[in-house]
Amino acid sequence: MEVTGVERQKKISQPKVNHKKVRAKIWADRYMYLMILPVVIYFVLFHYWPMLWLRIAFYDYKILKGFEGSKFVGLKHFKSFIQSPDFLNIIWNTLYLNLLSLAFAFPAPIVFALLLNELAAGKFKKTVQTISYLPHFLSMVVVVSMIKNILSPSIGIVNSIMKNMGMEEIYFLGEAKYFRPIMIISGIWQEMGWGSIIYLSALSGIDPELYEAAVMDGAGRFKQVIYITLPGIAQTIIVMLILRIGTLLSVGFEKVYLMQNAYNLSVSEVISTYVYKRGMINNNYSLATAVGMFNGIISLILVSLANSLSRKYTEISLI
Amino acid sequence: MSVLGKKSTGEKIFDVFNIVLMCLLTMAFLYPVLNVLAISLSASSPVLRGEVTFFPRRPTVKAYENIFTNKYIWRSYGNTIFVAIVGCVLGLIMSSLAAYPMAFGDFYGKQVYSFMILFTMWFSGGLIPTYLVMRKLKLLNTYWALIFNFLAPAYYIIILRSFFVGIPISLIESAKLDGANDFVCLTRIVLPVSKPVLATVALWFIVGHWNSFLPAIMYLNDRNKYTLQVVLHDIVLQASGKLYDIDAAVHAGEGSMVIPQQIQNAVIFVSLIPMLIIYPFLQQYFVKGVMIGSVKG
Repeated sequence: MEVTGVERQKKISQPKVNHKKVRAKIWADRYMYLMILPVVIYFVLFHYWPMLWLRIAFYDYKILKGFEGSKFVGLKHFKSFIQSPDFLNIIWNTLYLNLLSLAFAFPAPIVFALLLNELAAGKFKKTVQTISYLPHFLSMVVVVSMIKNILSPSIGIVNSIMKNMGMEEIYFLGEAKYFRPIMIISGIWQEMGWGSIIYLSALSGIDPELYEAAVMDGAGRFKQVIYITLPGIAQTIIVMLILRIGTLLSVGFEKVYLMQNAYNLSVSEVISTYVYKRGMINNNYSLATAVGMFNGIISLILVSLANSLSRKYTEISLI
Repeated sequence: MSVLGKKSTGEKIFDVFNIVLMCLLTMAFLYPVLNVLAISLSASSPVLRGEVTFFPRRPTVKAYENIFTNKYIWRSYGNTIFVAIVGCVLGLIMSSLAAYPMAFGDFYGKQVYSFMILFTMWFSGGLIPTYLVMRKLKLLNTYWALIFNFLAPAYYIIILRSFFVGIPISLIESAKLDGANDFVCLTRIVLPVSKPVLATVALWFIVGHWNSFLPAIMYLNDRNKYTLQVVLHDIVLQASGKLYDIDAAVHAGEGSMVIPQQIQNAVIFVSLIPMLIIYPFLQQYFVKGVMIGSVKG
């Protein structure tokens, strides 16, 4: 009885003590809370409030009437999107563009970094590197304008080379079949140099003694690349690859939108451009939000998958 | 590492091949930019014959004369500079305020706070809900929409936090014993030693605002408020220079016609000048930032 009494007393008094401690701790951290206050307000207003607005995907939302005047329609917009003839097409366009980029644009910076690594350190190497970063700093409007210049049938270099070789001129931007190659090749041009930075930093972390030992064993440079260099950056490659999986269903809006025209719409309509047009141009906010939400949830699943893969195979959690 | 040992013939051939390839790639990286400059500075007939590649033919600055008197281009330039500078300063302040508690804080709710920031990297309300919030807050057609849209990206906060974590916490603890609060610690101790990473993030903000296009077409609808990329898009890609009183035909005189391509490329080049000035000097900071980002704490 006595013991339980003491225990009961403890149970009662413990929270009191904790309560005081908690209050003291909170008071001690008051400046910390003051500091996070504007941050929390910003994130709530501009990141979490929009998430609440996602519920318009379940309404026939009328912007002038608000939620009271709009009808709740459940999954109607999701259903109509999935059943629409656009659905498979835009999902496929989005996914295919990403798969092509994974196959061609993903390895480009790795190869570029390996080739740069084989150059003797010096002015030449530095200059090549610096110039290779340039395209990364150009806006999408500028990049697409440059693509237009280069591929122009009248003033572009590609067509003038083809004419010199006796070939017919081609209006590249006017044919759907050239859309994807143009996107991928220009994407490589934009990001190859910049993307190589991370691999170059991984390369600089490889122990030089490994190369010395390989030379002693009579390994040539090609063999050194296969047995030392590549394994040295394998970890980085895997992490980057896994990160890429998380974005398989997202294509940046700006470049695709700017490259779009009436001729290539069948292959160039992707999820982000579809959302923009349905929402901002047709003012169908509910359908656009439903499509965006559908995309967001799939991407969230992909990212979580990527994160757990990464945790499992590389012991690096991306977040 | 390649200087070790003697080179075989195959390796020598590879070296030559590699240097040639790198030269070709460098030319490929530079060509579109040089081409823009060359077209903008060439006379119209060589441009139309497709003869202008790396260098101007029959140089003329007519296209530049044409755009330098255009008030819309100047105004959009000024607007963009304003958004970039204000966005960068406020962005740096907000990101530092966000990162400091993540690096040094030990307060109730820190886990929730960190999750609140990190979760936005995974999921967001998306285009339309964000637009509706901006509308609700009466921020449409103001620069605040562009600035708040890109004020404290979670990725930048993580970069700052990773750098802050490397600062010895004893510095902060001893300052606190002397009566300094967290704001004093942030501004007097943490920020002064974080200049490299602050420079990196500052430049990301500036380049991000300078190049941003989608938020501008979403949130702005007054031609006098347009930023550079919107005007550039309309003039170059929509070929609607008339909207901005840019009309090549007006300036067409005997044998000195100015064609749209010249004007368009002149506008592109003018929009590029700040980036071309910034990037070679500061690319080392960017490179450092990418590396800090890759070494997650």
